[in-house]
Amino acid sequence: MEELDLLKKAWQKDSHKFEQVSEGEIYKMLHTNSSSIVKWILIISIIEVLFWTAISVMYNTDDYMKKLHAESMMVYFKALNFVNYAVILYFIYTFYKNYIKISTTASTKQLMQDIIKTRKTVQYYVWYNLVMIVVSLIAGFIIAFAFNPKMELLKDKIAHETDYRILCITLGVMILTCIVIVGLFWLFYRLLYGILLRKLNVNYKELKKIDL
Amino acid sequence: MSDNLEQIFVKQLKDNQNIIHKICRLYTNDEDAHKDLFQEVTIQLWKAFPKFRGESKFSTWAYRVALNTAITLYRKSTRSVSTTSYEGQKHFLSHEEYNFEEEEQIKLMYQAVQQLNDIEKALVFLYLEDKDYTEISATLGISEVNARVKMNRIKGKLKKILNP
Repeated sequence: MEELDLLKKAWQKDSHKFEQVSEGEIYKMLHTNSSSIVKWILIISIIEVLFWTAISVMYNTDDYMKKLHAESMMVYFKALNFVNYAVILYFIYTFYKNYIKISTTASTKQLMQDIIKTRKTVQYYVWYNLVMIVVSLIAGFIIAFAFNPKMELLKDKIAHETDYRILCITLGVMILTCIVIVGLFWLFYRLLYGILLRKLNVNYKELKKIDL
Repeated sequence: MSDNLEQIFVKQLKDNQNIIHKICRLYTNDEDAHKDLFQEVTIQLWKAFPKFRGESKFSTWAYRVALNTAITLYRKSTRSVSTTSYEGQKHFLSHEEYNFEEEEQIKLMYQAVQQLNDIEKALVFLYLEDKDYTEISATLGISEVNARVKMNRIKGKLKKILNP
């Protein structure tokens, strides 16, 4: 293409004048903060991990169990807690491993893949926590149903009804609560990462298309 | 990092800054954005500098980091939509070789390049820098054959922009 080679000729001559940046200005730049998406992902991820870990640590089921005289269930929750800590440790390790792999000297495609991988790690952790919340909600409800004396009335009603109306309503409220909680988080993350990674996703798709 | 390393880096960057300016010009459409991207590229280069062993030229090493920053790390959208570009783009040729028709052609071509997407711009940039397809494919992480095919498609696309 003739025009492009014409541009190439002019381009290589470097005769295009750019306003030159002085050494002093470069020094100043070195001490300013980066606003790269990798930095944002790191900050958001740390907040996420702290938030979810705090929630799972602070959420103490022991007292609740004792109050309901459901001590027999406590062993299951203890086991669940151990699993939870293992998952947190494994997650932090994976995140750290992926994060340090991100390098601007890698190829463009590799860099994008590494960033996406690091972010996905956090995403999986968030989904894991959401699943745990839903599971706890259901378990909590079942335990309350089995052990909480206040539930006797409800149990009695369900046992005596013929059209399962109350049972359906109870289940419906439970399912709806779960959907609303998960839905809100899903929306929040779609927005947060959607804004942050829109450009990266567009460019990654474009790059992948070349190799199809 | 030591002051000595910082000194070496600043000197190298100052001498090779045009390569970054070229990328900034290609990926931004006003002077503020140009400065902003230049700053981010400088920070990213500085972060990566301890790993730079001098096996390649500083400029060769720098354009990879600079391109990656423009395409991937820089948060603001770098896609330029306007065809009118800012001041200073007019003079690609120096005065003694000034040829109005040729200058006009170059200007139009440059404006056409600015309408490409981020990835296409990267290919064109490397092409203009006279890099071979082995290097282009390695920089972007695509296969050599596909880099060639894509470059031909881009040439076709540019032709279409110039002669709609």
